[in-house]
Amino acid sequence: MQDIVIRTENLQKVYDMGKHKVTALDGVDVEIYKGEFLAIMGPSGSGKSTLMHILGCLDTPTGGNYILEAQEVSKLKKRQLAAVRNQRIGFVFQTFNLLPHLNILKNVELPQMYSGVSPAKRKNRAIEILEQVGLGDRLRHKPSELSGGQRQRVAIARAIVNNPAIILADEPTGNLDTNSGSDILGIFSELHDQGNTIIMVTHDPRVAGKANRIIHIIDGKITNGDIA
Amino acid sequence: MAISLRESVVVGLSDLWIRKVRTVVTVMGIVLGTMSIIVVLSLVKGVNNMTEQWLQERGGATKISVYRNWEYNVTNRERWYFDYKELRLIQSLIPEALYFNPTSNEWRHYRSYYNGNEFWTPVQGIFPDFEKIEEWTVQQGRFINNFDLDAYNDVIVIGTTVKKELFGNENPIGKYIYVMDRKFQVIGVMKHRYMKSRNQMGDENALEYLNQRCFVPLSTVMHKVSNEVYIRAFTVKAKTVSGVTPLKEKLENILLNLRHGHPVFMVESAKDQIDQNSQDTMVFKIIFIMISSISLFVGGIVITNIMLATIQERTREIGIRMATGARRIDIFIQFLVQTVLTTLIGGILGILLGLSILDKVGSFINMDVVVDAHMIVLAVVISAGVGLIFGIAPAIHASNLNPVKALRYE
Repeated sequence: MQDIVIRTENLQKVYDMGKHKVTALDGVDVEIYKGEFLAIMGPSGSGKSTLMHILGCLDTPTGGNYILEAQEVSKLKKRQLAAVRNQRIGFVFQTFNLLPHLNILKNVELPQMYSGVSPAKRKNRAIEILEQVGLGDRLRHKPSELSGGQRQRVAIARAIVNNPAIILADEPTGNLDTNSGSDILGIFSELHDQGNTIIMVTHDPRVAGKANRIIHIIDGKITNGDIA
Repeated sequence: MAISLRESVVVGLSDLWIRKVRTVVTVMGIVLGTMSIIVVLSLVKGVNNMTEQWLQERGGATKISVYRNWEYNVTNRERWYFDYKELRLIQSLIPEALYFNPTSNEWRHYRSYYNGNEFWTPVQGIFPDFEKIEEWTVQQGRFINNFDLDAYNDVIVIGTTVKKELFGNENPIGKYIYVMDRKFQVIGVMKHRYMKSRNQMGDENALEYLNQRCFVPLSTVMHKVSNEVYIRAFTVKAKTVSGVTPLKEKLENILLNLRHGHPVFMVESAKDQIDQNSQDTMVFKIIFIMISSISLFVGGIVITNIMLATIQERTREIGIRMATGARRIDIFIQFLVQTVLTTLIGGILGILLGLSILDKVGSFINMDVVVDAHMIVLAVVISAGVGLIFGIAPAIHASNLNPVKALRYE
């Protein structure tokens, strides 16, 4: 029996738009195991981004429970959610979301700056991770001086710098050409092989080849949970 | 663990550096505000110092002067001057006074002769206390004493310019000069008086008129030279500054009694002048501090506005920082520190600008301006304070952004 990293019970997210309410998540139950590579697929507006935001502690559900590593996080305060984002979750976005005026070393140091690691220590750690993703020779470059694939590698480095429990990736190949995309998927596979838990929202069918399991979400509900 | 202050300063400074032009424009209000604080405080301090120095030269704060009151029209039967007996009476009525000195008028010039040289000089009849009250004594020979006064001696003490004009390099002590149709023996030469005053022509001695004077016993003038020497003024020195006001009031009563209740004379103390002067400069100070405050307030509002715009521009950055673990307090500190840094830069620019303006203004109006360290500290504290106050609202706004919305912001 594998350890459960994430469990959601009847997760709800309803947006109150004044006149009417919009239900983004309508009772999502999902269990994600340690070391799993899970792909979440679904059409636009299906609620998969909302689910990602809640799993990533960027947003809070309006109903149901979200248990991350045996801790109920759906009712945490904003300050505690920030600590969870910092320590236990690594984010990779479709649009990279790097800080443009900082060099990539500083970008990768960012999470450890917020967790209070000393400047020397976090610099060493950031260099180590950037070398791991093949950018050890670009430390002083600004994101604008790098290609899309290289930027996404920086974003991955930033996501894993604090050794999080899960890595959340929201369409990480969506803005990349085919070659760079498979490059990035290769890195995620490597991370998976090293034992990391990866949850990825994607349209990309090639991900099916890499993921252990694919869940489909439509109208805020999970329609299947097959083991791939 | 929070982002450290040092990190916030580094992040804030680099952001201000990236947006240099905006930074400079943003801080203009603060620059003007701190500049005017520095300029006004220094000018006021300079004026006060100059006044105090002047009063010190004129006999210090314990001096009380009695003049004819020009606002009062005397009737035929009232005397607007003192006779010798009255002066002696007044002197005996105020034993608490440290010194007492009446002087005959100082604007009438007499021709003085010595050995073919002549010089027009105002000759003043005085009491021996003159040297104590004016804090001015001889550099050579001796001053007039009580014996000279009681004996109506024909002795004279001359100023340095008189000495130079009549005697050149010759020693004047013991020599006789003719003045006011009498022969006077020179017994002393007063010390040279000098106070620098700058004007368009260059440096000048503001006290030169004193060096041109001669002094003789008042009794000699009044009894032997002319019976038309009118004493309309005398000077008294109190023992202490706190004794000035009671002594002044007592003198006012004595003078009113001597003239049957009519205000023929007025009594004025140097302390009144100092108080009046500091009142005047206080008004000046308050007006300009108000102007500076308005400038700082407007500057502060501009900064709030610009910071809100900056934060809007950097919404996505804030989202990214939050996604990587920044807490609300981290974002709050980051933007508050940046605002304070902005106003501090403005404050420092204002201080530098103020100092360079003072340099020009000071030489233009012939005044030594005084810049104290505590004025600079005050300006720095005020500019940082403006940043703290006007930075709070934008910083709260930034820290309250929703991470999801901030990340999606385009």
